[in-house]
Amino acid sequence: MNISDKLLQVKAVYKTFGEGQSETVALKGVSFDVLPGEFLGIMGASGSGKTTLLNSVATMLKPTAGQILLEGKNISSFRGSQLAKYRGSKIGYLFQEFELIDNLTARENIILPLSIHGVNPEEQEEQLQKLVKQFDIESVLNKFPSQMSGGQKQRVAAARALISNPSIVLADEPTGALDTKNAKTLMDKLYANNQEEGSTILMVTHDANAASYCSRILFIQDGVIFHELRKKVPGETQNAFYERILTVLAQLGGGSSNVL
Amino acid sequence: MFFDFIKRNSRKVRKENGVYFASLVISIVAFYVILSLGEQDIIVYLKTVESDAVERLLLMIPILYAVSLFFVFFLVYFANRYQLQQRSHEFGMYLMMGMKQSKLFVMIMGETLWNGLVALCIGVPISLFLTELISLATSRLIGMGIIGHEFRISWVGLGLTVFGFIVVQLLAVFILSFRMSGKEPIDLLKDQKEKSQRVLSPVWSMVGILSGAVLLLGAIFLCVAYGLAVLYLRSLDYRIFALILIIGICGTFILFRGLGSLIGAWVKRKSSSSTGLFVFTARQLQENVLHQWGSLAISSLLILMAMVCFAFGTSTALNNSATSSRTVDFTFKGSEEEIVSALTSDKLAPYVNSYNVMELGNFSPIDSETSENTAARTWSGLEEAISKEENSEEKENLLRNLSMNDSPYYISLSSYNTILTSINKAPIILEDDEVAMYSDEEYSYSYDILRTALQNNPTIGIGEKQYELMSTLYTSNVVADRAITLSYALIVPDAIYDSFIGRSQDPWLWNMTLNAEFIEEKGLMQAMYEVEQLMNTFGLDFESYLSSMGRQLFYTVAGSYTTFYLGIMFLIIANTVLGINFLMQQRSTRHRYSTVAMLGASIESLCSSARKQIWLYFGLVISVSLVSSVFGIWSLLTAFPSTTLSIENSMVVAIILIVFIVFELCYIWMIQRKSDEEIKKFKEIE
Ligand SMILES: Nc1ncnc2c1ncn2[C@@H]1O[C@H](COP(=O)(O)OP(=O)(O)OP(=O)(O)O)[C@@H](O)[C@H]1O
Ligand SMILES: [Mg+2]
Repeated sequence: MNISDKLLQVKAVYKTFGEGQSETVALKGVSFDVLPGEFLGIMGASGSGKTTLLNSVATMLKPTAGQILLEGKNISSFRGSQLAKYRGSKIGYLFQEFELIDNLTARENIILPLSIHGVNPEEQEEQLQKLVKQFDIESVLNKFPSQMSGGQKQRVAAARALISNPSIVLADEPTGALDTKNAKTLMDKLYANNQEEGSTILMVTHDANAASYCSRILFIQDGVIFHELRKKVPGETQNAFYERILTVLAQLGGGSSNVL
Repeated sequence: MFFDFIKRNSRKVRKENGVYFASLVISIVAFYVILSLGEQDIIVYLKTVESDAVERLLLMIPILYAVSLFFVFFLVYFANRYQLQQRSHEFGMYLMMGMKQSKLFVMIMGETLWNGLVALCIGVPISLFLTELISLATSRLIGMGIIGHEFRISWVGLGLTVFGFIVVQLLAVFILSFRMSGKEPIDLLKDQKEKSQRVLSPVWSMVGILSGAVLLLGAIFLCVAYGLAVLYLRSLDYRIFALILIIGICGTFILFRGLGSLIGAWVKRKSSSSTGLFVFTARQLQENVLHQWGSLAISSLLILMAMVCFAFGTSTALNNSATSSRTVDFTFKGSEEEIVSALTSDKLAPYVNSYNVMELGNFSPIDSETSENTAARTWSGLEEAISKEENSEEKENLLRNLSMNDSPYYISLSSYNTILTSINKAPIILEDDEVAMYSDEEYSYSYDILRTALQNNPTIGIGEKQYELMSTLYTSNVVADRAITLSYALIVPDAIYDSFIGRSQDPWLWNMTLNAEFIEEKGLMQAMYEVEQLMNTFGLDFESYLSSMGRQLFYTVAGSYTTFYLGIMFLIIANTVLGINFLMQQRSTRHRYSTVAMLGASIESLCSSARKQIWLYFGLVISVSLVSSVFGIWSLLTAFPSTTLSIENSMVVAIILIVFIVFELCYIWMIQRKSDEEIKKFKEIE
């Protein structure tokens, strides 16, 4: 595949909730592209429509108007088995409320997407071992979620999101419930995966620290994209990028306190 | 306002738990049906025939009622526990929004009461309709005139139904909400999260061994109970019985306790080599078994009890309906002139087909010493023939009976032939040195063995002479009902009868058959009933085949009605508990289903996973109870030897089994549909 081929195209997506009096327009024509191997961040104030956007890409919500193309296919028109084929295999999920299944062990949780898509057991094991090393979760493989720490849980979830080698990984505030140290570990691992395996990640976050791992950041406000930041490659350090993100948030948020 | 709120909530509860609600309605119907039994036409009639036995049956009704109340309590308690758990988040919210504990309590009780009233509004009309239907069907079956039919409402039954039902509901919910009231709002808010896996990882390696041990212990307990039941239940020693009960119950509980961990160990072994939703399905099942082994065990025991009830019910019904076929219609005791004058009177004559003296008498020599010798000689040939048969309980009983029957009754050939011809059977033709054997149908358990022994024409002794026994055994009743019951008697040529019994005993039994046209016109029961009414005016000592029919009817009704009632009750409660258990777990883990759907499982595969869970879930419980019931029924049938298992009977048992399986399949299918609905409901993309 040519590197310049667009992996994900979001074209003029609108999303309206409710009707009449209670109508809320969450997305008002959002358009952007994601290239293979990109680590794209999405930031914005609370209620600006980030989750709505991500859920639309995740096929959890149907856009009111517009198109979402993944590898050229309009996934927002998918139904039934077509949809099932994409979920978990082409798209990996790492959502904050999108928990691990608590009566399955870590191992069972991680290989679930592969099992569902009928990948044979030997291949499952091979994939699993690779990710286990990367995310350092060897010790918890046979534990149930209730017996793991928050950080471990989120790393297991990350391994689950990545195990099927999805075209794109969607992450909604993956560090939201983690402390600084655990958040950093998780981001390090995700970043390493992005760099080494070339995985494509689309991540919503409030956290400028987490965002500084991204190669590009879209800022969204009231359902539209109003700014974009790009990490200068090569050369710009993560710290420098972090500073730039803070500046943008301070400038454009009209007071960054409600953003952060 | 508050009342509207309660009404709205309870409507929601009803809609979400249709299965539970339907079971409540069924239990109301069951309550009323059993409580109104005493006022059903058939029982009212039977009271006139068999008042003692009916009284005893009616005494049992309060016990049945209490037992059903207890089990309905169990049902209500379990179902509501899940429901309240389900809603505990909601309750926590109410508390946080400033609702007082007491008001919350009033709300829950109010909802229960309201739902109870709605169930009663549906259930009571259904039960009135059903009892009316039963009454109509039975009186149609037996003949309108005998069992006068009128629409009756058993007010006492109705009152007790309403009272018991409401009290059980309120009590169960009261206990539950009392337990809940001790919790802080935060606990209620958090309670939404289901309990996590109890198995701790360091123990993992132990789990296999442990669960194996537990399982084995349960199985051993069960086997011991089975063995004891089959071997010793017939002695009817209550200590053995209690031991069997305790061991069996413990065994079932322990078995289900061990099963959960075993499934876990099994999943762990299989999980690395499986595809699809296998692991998810198995883990969901495991969680169900782990968390609810208690109610699984109880359900399993209830199904076992239901099976035993059905088996017992059918076998009593079958064995009673199989006995005493009709030979003559009336039997009189008394002097000849009295009876003949009555039967030839203008009032009775038109109904009488024929009347005959029944010549039978007890051969009792005066000399006691000769009597012993004679007795030894009478049956010895037959006893010898029987001893050659295979050993069995029946054989022992038969030999014992024969040895005690030292002075047998003789029946004169001519009077027995009269009976045989009246029921269109070929009369007996005896050779000079031949006699035939008669045995009352009440002793039918020995028929098989007796018939084989007779095949070799054993000899018996009468007086000084030896006679050969005919190879046919005669069982047509010598009287209408029970004027005399002869275990084993000899049908002898008239010459022998005259020389041994002769005129030493005056004939005292007279048989009468009714005019066939009259029976044709009125139906057997009705005809007999009318003539019986007439005869009562003559002051005769008589019995009729009607009371024999009545008695059969009563035992059939009493035996099958009550056991079937209990069986159905148990079955419904067990299934409802299982069904609710499953659906509640499914609902409380709905987020898992949506997670799995997001990981790429199609709705169809989720539905089929849930279907598989339901199959296995019900299958586990049913198979344990089926295995137990095989032993249960086996020991039951050996404990009550009169309930022999013939081919016809086993056909009926097979039919009952099929009906049971169909019932279970329907139930499983219903729960599966409900589960499909649930899954489809929580996976819709906007
Ligand atoms: N299911 C829904 N029904 C109605 N309105 C909704 C729904 N989901 C989101 N909204 C509305 O759409 C808007 C965008 O919501 P969204 O969840 O995308 O915000 P967000 O950017 O993710 O916020 P946060 O940073 O707080 O998570 C909000 O105004 C929200 O009220
Ligand atoms: Mg959000």
